[in-house]
Amino acid sequence: MVSTGTSIEPRPAAPAPTEPHSAVDDLLYQRLSELAATRAADSGPSYPDLRPAVEQALYHEARLLDDRRYRAWLDRFTDDCVYWIPLDLDGDPREQISYLLDDHRRMTDRIGLLETGWAHAQNPPSRTSRIVSNVEAWPLADGEIRARCSVVTWEYRRERLTPFVSRNDYVLAALGDEWTIRIKIVGLVDCDGDVRKFSFVL
Amino acid sequence: MIDLEGLVEPHRVHRTIYVDPAIFTAEMDRIFGGAWVYVAHESQVPEPNDFVTTRLGLRNVIVTRDSDGELHGLFNRCSHRASTVCQHECGTARNFQCSYHGWTYSNRGELVNVPFAEGYPAEFDRAAHGLRQIPRLATYRGLVFATLNPAAPSLIDWLGPAADLIDEFVDRSPTGRIELRNRQRMIYRGNWKLAWDNAGDGLHPTFAHRSFLVLNERHHGGARSLSQFKANPDETGMYGDDLGHGHMFVDQRPGLSRSFWETQRPVPGREWYADRIRARYGESSAEVLEMAPGSMMNLSIFPNLLIKGNHLEVIDPISVAETRLHTWVAAAAGAPEEVNVLRMRIAEDFPSLGNPDDLELFERCQEGLGIAEIEWVDMSKGLGHPAQQILGNGVQRGPVTHEGPMRGYIRAWLELMQAEPPRTVAGPGRVACEVAG
Repeated sequence: MVSTGTSIEPRPAAPAPTEPHSAVDDLLYQRLSELAATRAADSGPSYPDLRPAVEQALYHEARLLDDRRYRAWLDRFTDDCVYWIPLDLDGDPREQISYLLDDHRRMTDRIGLLETGWAHAQNPPSRTSRIVSNVEAWPLADGEIRARCSVVTWEYRRERLTPFVSRNDYVLAALGDEWTIRIKIVGLVDCDGDVRKFSFVL
Repeated sequence: MIDLEGLVEPHRVHRTIYVDPAIFTAEMDRIFGGAWVYVAHESQVPEPNDFVTTRLGLRNVIVTRDSDGELHGLFNRCSHRASTVCQHECGTARNFQCSYHGWTYSNRGELVNVPFAEGYPAEFDRAAHGLRQIPRLATYRGLVFATLNPAAPSLIDWLGPAADLIDEFVDRSPTGRIELRNRQRMIYRGNWKLAWDNAGDGLHPTFAHRSFLVLNERHHGGARSLSQFKANPDETGMYGDDLGHGHMFVDQRPGLSRSFWETQRPVPGREWYADRIRARYGESSAEVLEMAPGSMMNLSIFPNLLIKGNHLEVIDPISVAETRLHTWVAAAAGAPEEVNVLRMRIAEDFPSLGNPDDLELFERCQEGLGIAEIEWVDMSKGLGHPAQQILGNGVQRGPVTHEGPMRGYIRAWLELMQAEPPRTVAGPGRVACEVAG
């Protein structure tokens, strides 16, 4: 029998996560704007010494998502994280909608939606493979690391193989076995074009 | 000539209206040419010489504001060899020059320059070679509509009772104006009417959006966005209207147990921005916060504008089985900045969490419609039911899960398709834009 991909285990109705507060405030938006400006500027050569540890984190993240181990993926984000898929790479998210701009609470909702077992757009579920390449990294203040990579996520679902091509930016809060992500930005090259609805985590 | 007889019955429609390419071609002509069609919003061309490109059915169109501030609907087609003359989604330009042979037009459509003019026959009349224009353009509360039909009623007559509902939507802004920001574009593999049907369908949320309902119950508890669809929605007071001319309205507001703000799902920045609003606006802050969530109105202006939440969603047919949806977000012009920041996060919420399930179901419907031997699509719920009532203004109203709004639009669809309305394209020169409100 051909596997249709591992399903996300529908979870029972209990226990609701207790995430009463959002970490998003004006300062966090400013940080995203600064990050966008840094991205647009020429950052110069990257730091090759950082690359192996950054690759370890990014490859691991890709594996967690391809395997749809979403709770484990979520655990790799800091409480004050942002996960952002813009529709306009140069826009200010305070003034525009994005494909999504999630804090930890809405990320948890996004995973929770899949776990209800009633997300029709994931029935049958997508199978994905992410090719992560061109990994570069730069040190930031306070031990944070900025990373950039090119990603092609191939999604197979209902007889269709669809590529999602992006340039991803990360702010990693920690590296090594305990790597964590503070900011993840998925910059789809066709973000302002006709984006196919996707219901898996990109 | 296509035969429409027998495709629409009071309680059901024939599958061919969703799958037949000949019917699609006729629709692009008779409906997306014969009816008033939404093409743009005035906030996209706020200043003189601004322009925005859009579509009228399958026709590529530029809506310009000339140096005197007047609006024009120009076909994006060089009068010479048919190339499009404008490649940008929006911008500011006095002239449009065709890249192919250099013919240049003003933003009123006049042909202002033909390079190497020597050599054209004596009877070549430059004045007759401007960009062709949409013959009728009209605005209502900032919404710009266009038609190729000289016999179409005035826009205000076409909108009918829908005009008051547009007012309600727009007047949630303190200035009575909305301002479109950016948009999301997505494609589904299905007929454009599947999105249209769905907009007037108060029966589907309980099932199609079950993941969203269950999620909110589990993570946030109590009355949250859409939770009024958890049990029997008809017991909540929500209703669906057939507004005439194909326009539909589903009113979710009567289903709210508490204020818009209190029942809004938590979105990123909710706490920080709400605190700031409370600090700045004190006693009136509850009123200010009410401007942030969606309108809870689903107002559909036939054939292509779905006003919902804080969105203008535009249905953009591509082919009989492929449709593009543009979801524009509306900011409340003149509202506190914090309100509009919250509007952006709220406006992403259902579209990214709930809409994928709608689109999945449209595609499943299109697949099912491919079975030629099974001919009919049912829309009989509420037909002849005593709860259906006719209001004084002619609006037919019923409980929210009834399919009256769909039956109303399909009658309007048939009328337009059978009338074969006249369509004209105006020559170069001024076409006065009507201001309906």
